Amino acid sequence: MASIKNSLGFANLSGFARIVGCAALVAATLPLTVLAQAPRVGGPAPTFTATDSRGQTEALSQFKGKYVVLEWHNNGCPYTIKHYESGNMQGLQKQWTAKGVVWFTVISSAPGQQGYVTAIQENDYMARMHASPTAALLDPTGKLGHLYDAKTTPQMIVIDPSGKIVYEGAIDNRATPDQSDIKGADNYLNDALSAAMAGKPVAVDHTRPYGCSVKYAD
Amino acid sequence: MRRLLSIFGLSVAGSVLLAAGLPAWAASNSADAPHLHVQLIFPNSHLSQGASSQAGLYFKLEPGWHVYWKNAGDSGEPPHIKWTLPAGITAEPIQFPAPKRLPLGPLMDFGYDNEVLFPFTIDVANAARLGPAALQAKVDWLVCREVCIPGKAELDENVQIGGTASAVSASSSDAALLQRFANSLPVPLPSSAKAIFQPTPTGFRLSVDTGQRETQAAFFPADEDVLDNPSPQTITPTAKGLILDLKKDANLSANPAKLNGVIELSGGRNYELAALPGTVAAAAPPIALSAVAQSFGLAFLGGLLLNLMPCVFPVLFLKGLSLVNSGNEERHKLRAHGFVYTAGILVSFWVLVGALLALRAAGASLGWGFQFQSPVFLALMAGLLFFLGLSLAGQFEIGLTLTSAGGSLAAKQGYTGSFFTGVLAVVVATPCSAPFMGAAIGYALAQPAAVTFAVFTALALGLAAPYLALTLQPAWTRLLPRPGAWMEILRQAISVPIFVTVIWLAWVVAQAYGAPLLAALLVNFLLLAIAGWFLGRWPARRWSTGVAAAFLLVVIAAAFVAPNYLVASPPSNLSSEDARVMEQMASGIAAKGATWQPWSADAVTKYQSQGRPVFVDFTASWCLSCQVNERIALSQPQVQQAFAGANVALLKADWTREDPAITEALTAMGRSGVPVYALYVPGENNPRLLPQVLTPGIVTDALDKLPHGATSASVASSNR
Repeated sequence: MASIKNSLGFANLSGFARIVGCAALVAATLPLTVLAQAPRVGGPAPTFTATDSRGQTEALSQFKGKYVVLEWHNNGCPYTIKHYESGNMQGLQKQWTAKGVVWFTVISSAPGQQGYVTAIQENDYMARMHASPTAALLDPTGKLGHLYDAKTTPQMIVIDPSGKIVYEGAIDNRATPDQSDIKGADNYLNDALSAAMAGKPVAVDHTRPYGCSVKYAD
Repeated sequence: MRRLLSIFGLSVAGSVLLAAGLPAWAASNSADAPHLHVQLIFPNSHLSQGASSQAGLYFKLEPGWHVYWKNAGDSGEPPHIKWTLPAGITAEPIQFPAPKRLPLGPLMDFGYDNEVLFPFTIDVANAARLGPAALQAKVDWLVCREVCIPGKAELDENVQIGGTASAVSASSSDAALLQRFANSLPVPLPSSAKAIFQPTPTGFRLSVDTGQRETQAAFFPADEDVLDNPSPQTITPTAKGLILDLKKDANLSANPAKLNGVIELSGGRNYELAALPGTVAAAAPPIALSAVAQSFGLAFLGGLLLNLMPCVFPVLFLKGLSLVNSGNEERHKLRAHGFVYTAGILVSFWVLVGALLALRAAGASLGWGFQFQSPVFLALMAGLLFFLGLSLAGQFEIGLTLTSAGGSLAAKQGYTGSFFTGVLAVVVATPCSAPFMGAAIGYALAQPAAVTFAVFTALALGLAAPYLALTLQPAWTRLLPRPGAWMEILRQAISVPIFVTVIWLAWVVAQAYGAPLLAALLVNFLLLAIAGWFLGRWPARRWSTGVAAAFLLVVIAAAFVAPNYLVASPPSNLSSEDARVMEQMASGIAAKGATWQPWSADAVTKYQSQGRPVFVDFTASWCLSCQVNERIALSQPQVQQAFAGANVALLKADWTREDPAITEALTAMGRSGVPVYALYVPGENNPRLLPQVLTPGIVTDALDKLPHGATSASVASSNR
């Protein structure tokens, strides 16, 4: 800003004009800058803080330097059930958290909607299902879901250590609720994490997520 | 539904899966499953050898439940059918009638409610065995309301295969059902019709010519992940069809070669289309009411903001001053003044927009702010304000002596004064094309005359609103201080911002047209000062007024004539590079490492062909927000580093003086003014547009979002 003073016109306009002008400019474009933040693959992952089922606050910023997986979850959705009843999702959670990946199960179902759980119910569910994400984030307001534009359960997002989204979409290429389709499916999450960790570009970096719609509040 | 939820409540997830996924076993051609009835419809149970028959897969749904189209949208899955058929009999894939848009909170699905029939064709070969035949279908689907339940059924249809000319007895109700849905299948676009699409920064502009004006349309993309499904589709009827503005999926990295899908028009007409890329005429008259209302509101807000702009604020000051003077007048008179002021603003906007429309009609490629590209206008404006400033500072009293000169009109008491203060507010507001006004005006200029007028009217009303409110609301008027000696002080103080504006205008003249014209302008100022001296030293004398008027005439004549002689080179010869050098000298920052090159369409193409991202700064020296952006964002070291790191080619398009090529480029982006910041990304046809107000963060974020592999620097950072 100091350099402005060097220009003939600006030196004299500096007082009220600049303040008024800047305030007006900022006010005028506030909606624009908010719109420009829609997350997308290759772009920065929006930062968030959320409360997990153990009552702890989890902030994305704490995990800079690590891979972070976001898994949208709804325990009543047949497509989610497919991956939990088969043990597929729990296996992925074990496999990748063992390699240092931070895995957040995100529950964006609004109260009264399918899949909404209290912290106790979720802890109970995870114990019964032998699920082992790093944490289960409770998002009853849908804030986190909307922030990432999550559409379905299960929907997967992979964030790399620099904070960029490197994968967004379906868990695999078989958009069915049948457990028998897990075997032989191409698991996009595995592909994305393996490639990214090997320093290779993620070949399939976004897919159409399949499953039930996320049960946001209307 | 209630039962299902209670089951979910028990969290016996496994049994839910079993219950939901349990095939509805049936040896018949129909089955009842949760929330729907599914049935194979064969109007004719006698199939002929060597012939094809029409049949369908029918779903009857409970209210509120849906099954899905082939592209289900944001969630959902279409039904599938797998056949087990006797030798010689084949079934073609099911066909999908045109779907509905099914909003679900923030999501948008495409599907059907109530009932739907998916027609298909059964082909019987000549070699097929005569006699009874069982056609077995395994059907699966997803049915959703708020919750989704997958379902399966095995359906059997027993038919008779007969000779080629076997007599048939068709079920008329089934035939009617089949016929009804067969009619709702999309048909290929007639050969006379034409569909093209043009990528825009935010999506696609789809133009479909059907030969008649179309006022209703919904486009359903056949491919997933091409469009942002929930976004409203803005329709613009044209004389021979329509234009539909579609928003693309945020993750779409390359524009599709074809835009495939189904378009549904009024009267249930459905067409299958594969639009090819092309140029969609932008001059089509879109009258989407919501968009107009939005622009109207935006323009009104823009008008309000204009009151705060440095080039209008002094006028508002002026007007506030006259309001103080009329503080003793009766209320209705105050109100009348407010309305007359509003009328002054409205009339000037209408005159301006009328002129703009006339120019546009004449094919002149002019944009907003063009006034400030005219040295005559600049000189007159600077002179007027300087003269006004002298009067305010106390050199002379305009009201006593001069009644007809432009500037004095505004200072006049009475309704004429109010009217011309409104006019003056408009004239000086022009250069402060406040950030988002750019969009509103860009929109307005591409609209039919009526819409343009409406938008400009909103702009005018916004500009007039604060003063009008002051005159209408007596309570606020009472807050005004009583007249007194402070008025003189206030009036003199107001001359300061007026002179500031004069200095700014002089700076613009110097920037755009060089020192000789600046000198002429300063001489004009001297002549004005002398005229003011005559008026002040010998007030209200006819001879002194005459002398002053003569001086003024000389000044006006000089303003018109001087540019012809004194502009160092004709406008087209002064390259933007010269302007850049001048500007950098003026600002004294000559940003290190910044290699801004003059913009040309060819330069953009050249760098793009080298695979380099290109950043274009559309700017002008009279554009205040452009200067602010350049100084607080573009010339900041971290931004310069980011530009260098991403190997971005930097181009500056200087619109200080009217340049048809730049005007054309701005129009192509839907803008009619500056600033515009365009980032051309390799592999994308249209530039990404940055906001009109920049911060270093906005620019570096935009550079961070460049595709992987576009630059060596971004690859390195993504591999960390």
